[in-house]
Amino acid sequence: MIQFLEFSNLALFYYYLCCNTAYLIMLMAALHTSIKHQHRLKSLETSWIKLSPLTPPITILMPARNEEKSISIAVKNLLTLDYSELELIVINDGSSDRTLELLRQEFRLRPVKAVYVAEALSAPVRQLYRSDVVPNLLVIDKDSGGSKADAVNAGLNAATSPYICVIDADSVLERDALLRIMAPVLADPNRVIAVGGIVRVLNGSELEGGRMRRVRLPRKSIEILQVIEYLRAFLIGREAWAGKNMLLIISGAFGVFRTDLVRAIGGYRSHAIGEDIDLVTRLHRYMRDKGQEYEIRFVPDPVCWTEAPSDLASLRSQRSRWQKGLLDVLWPQRDMLFRPRYGRIGCFALPYLWIFELFAPVIEVGGILTIILAACAGMLSHEFFLQFLLFGYAFATVISIGSVLLEELTYKRYNDWQDVIRLVSYCFLEHFPYRQLQMLWRLQGMWQYLRGDIAWGVLQRVGLQSAVVKQE
Amino acid sequence: MAFDFEKFQRFGPAAFVLKAILAAVAADVILLGCILLRRGYRRWYFARRDARVIEIRQQWDALIRGEIPFEAWRNNRRDCQIVESMALDAFELAGSAESAQILKFLRTSGLIAKCTFEARRHQGWRRREALVALGRTRAPEAIPPLTEALRDRDAETRLAALRGLERMACPEAAKGILNWISESGLTVPALPVQSALIQCCAERPQILISHLQHTEGPVRELLARVLGEVATPVLQTSLLQFVDDELPELRAAAARALSQSQPQIAMASLTELSQDPIWFVRLRAIVSLGELRNPSAVSILLRGLTDSKRLVRVRAAEALLKIGSDHAAMFEEVVALNDRYGLDAFLTAIDNAGLVGTIQQELSQRPPSARKDALLEILTAKSLPTAGLMPELAASAKAASAL
Repeated sequence: MIQFLEFSNLALFYYYLCCNTAYLIMLMAALHTSIKHQHRLKSLETSWIKLSPLTPPITILMPARNEEKSISIAVKNLLTLDYSELELIVINDGSSDRTLELLRQEFRLRPVKAVYVAEALSAPVRQLYRSDVVPNLLVIDKDSGGSKADAVNAGLNAATSPYICVIDADSVLERDALLRIMAPVLADPNRVIAVGGIVRVLNGSELEGGRMRRVRLPRKSIEILQVIEYLRAFLIGREAWAGKNMLLIISGAFGVFRTDLVRAIGGYRSHAIGEDIDLVTRLHRYMRDKGQEYEIRFVPDPVCWTEAPSDLASLRSQRSRWQKGLLDVLWPQRDMLFRPRYGRIGCFALPYLWIFELFAPVIEVGGILTIILAACAGMLSHEFFLQFLLFGYAFATVISIGSVLLEELTYKRYNDWQDVIRLVSYCFLEHFPYRQLQMLWRLQGMWQYLRGDIAWGVLQRVGLQSAVVKQE
Repeated sequence: MAFDFEKFQRFGPAAFVLKAILAAVAADVILLGCILLRRGYRRWYFARRDARVIEIRQQWDALIRGEIPFEAWRNNRRDCQIVESMALDAFELAGSAESAQILKFLRTSGLIAKCTFEARRHQGWRRREALVALGRTRAPEAIPPLTEALRDRDAETRLAALRGLERMACPEAAKGILNWISESGLTVPALPVQSALIQCCAERPQILISHLQHTEGPVRELLARVLGEVATPVLQTSLLQFVDDELPELRAAAARALSQSQPQIAMASLTELSQDPIWFVRLRAIVSLGELRNPSAVSILLRGLTDSKRLVRVRAAEALLKIGSDHAAMFEEVVALNDRYGLDAFLTAIDNAGLVGTIQQELSQRPPSARKDALLEILTAKSLPTAGLMPELAASAKAASAL
């Protein structure tokens, strides 16, 4: 027992060391990539993309389930986007609220018979609608398939453009987001098969006429902590992985994919819980199996603002779902691990996800328990424990502040001094007890998945309506 | 194990952890310092810059007319950047008279010469920035430095040069690009080159023809696609030589370009191309037939409705709607094809065009007959009857298939 406790404490130390070192390396890589990207932006003029006759059309797919509080604003936001040729497809995924009714009223929908080829698996479609006021808007009313993937597949079946862009119904895009996200595609359409944009927390900011009017930090602590998480995940994680073409996650809230390839792999896995990571992993597999040259890119300047959970119960539900989704993706793809055929994806990206993302809650919660046990058994060096704690805390803080610095150096969305000061202060506060709570939720998610509970869970939404500025 | 742990605690890691803590705390302080410094500097910099922009804007007319000596701002790096960006922005929004004045200012003040110097002297992002600025000036003297940059080792710089030349949108820029791709092949992805050539060749598409005759492989494919976009009636005799070309891209380009020609010249070639074994050639031909709006194309388009490719069927349906004004009669002919895929494509097209009601009305106004009822039923059910077509319609179907 004593030997086990000693071993586990030692293992925990090395695990933290490796984890933080990996983050540090990613921070350095992200800093380098971000600065390069900033220079690249100096010679990018989005108006060229807009005016070019060869800019490909995009179909925007927006799955919506019980989104009555957001749907009108979200669709209006899409109408304000700067892009030459857009097709908008809203998929009403068996909503039990007034989502479809609001769409009908707002956009004067009429039933139509549009092209719908059921190539990707999806629950039955009830009716297709076109708008009398927005000619490029198509609404698909379908039975609920129990997952977002199922709804997106229905949209994919009706899409007619060479690229699809998947957007959540509780999100809004900045006006030039599509032009910016398409820049890597236009520079090399044969190689670049998917591009992810940055997703940021909308809570606290103000919308007007479907557009972002003023960016502010949210008021609630739980929301600010998520802002830091998002910055870290996107500006450090995604940027670093994408720099080496090892990106495995393009957020489900905002990403562009080549339609033919998504169709070639059978669309989204209809019951996937983490449909975003599942799709990207399968795209990597498909391209590597085919032996084709490809790139999956991340660009940090096209911004999608999304509503983050604002209460503990919703956050818990979301995080446990993410963990379920991760397990649901990694397990079926386990044969890619360490196989030379899958190159750096199999040798670095997937093992990283297994060790530092999937197993993190097991190792961390287990580690905390063994430390407590060791302390009870009187074999814990208090001096060393304190040092270890301080080390972990200080190191993790470096990564969080690093992500805020990256934001400052590059995209500077928070203009208010107060916001920056609050953001930095929360970098010191997020490591206790928020991190531990998260680990527990994620552990719970894994347990639920192993027991066969794959339900999405209910998120309480305030809705985009709450961010709209009232006109005088 | 106990021994290892003791050793680990006392010697190595403990000391290491202590150092790591100190390093991490120092890093925290440095990062915080960077954030504060950056914020403070930006605030100071933009306050000064904004104030200067306002001052320059107040003197803008005098500045453009050259009444303020250029040396007053050109020797100051910040002022020079402000004036350059303001002049280029104004140039893009200006009308013809004003743009001539701004271009004159850009020349006489030495801003174009400065950008040319930077485009030749610098490397990396500085060079790209200068190339973008040169493209925005649309001055002919910017073409040589831009074409030189097409031979840069860095692919991003080559792309920036291409975009600059695309902005020029003139045959001289096209010549520079065409010479470059003839010389070194495609050293950048095809799409940006295609986009640049489309802009630059629009005025004089003839320059493509000679290159098309002397190039091969991917470059020829690319030029073919460009030709498809920019062809005008002036080229119609040159285009006819490509109708039988072995390269499908070139046949497709010819098909597309023929939509701009006289119907009497284009019809025979387009009829031939609408039966091409390659689907995208058929697609282009079908779309062009729709553009020509010639009633003699109806039978070819009806055949297009039974094509094996969905996209061809959809475009054929849309083309039919462009040609015919009697949509009910057109619908009847489509039903007579007895092809459910073709009918589906046509129904989708009329749905998208909001013509279902019109056709319904036109059919309702006909004298009562079983044929009329059958057509109305098909229009409502949006599919062919499972029991088969009624004898009258089936006879029309036979006639249509014989056609």
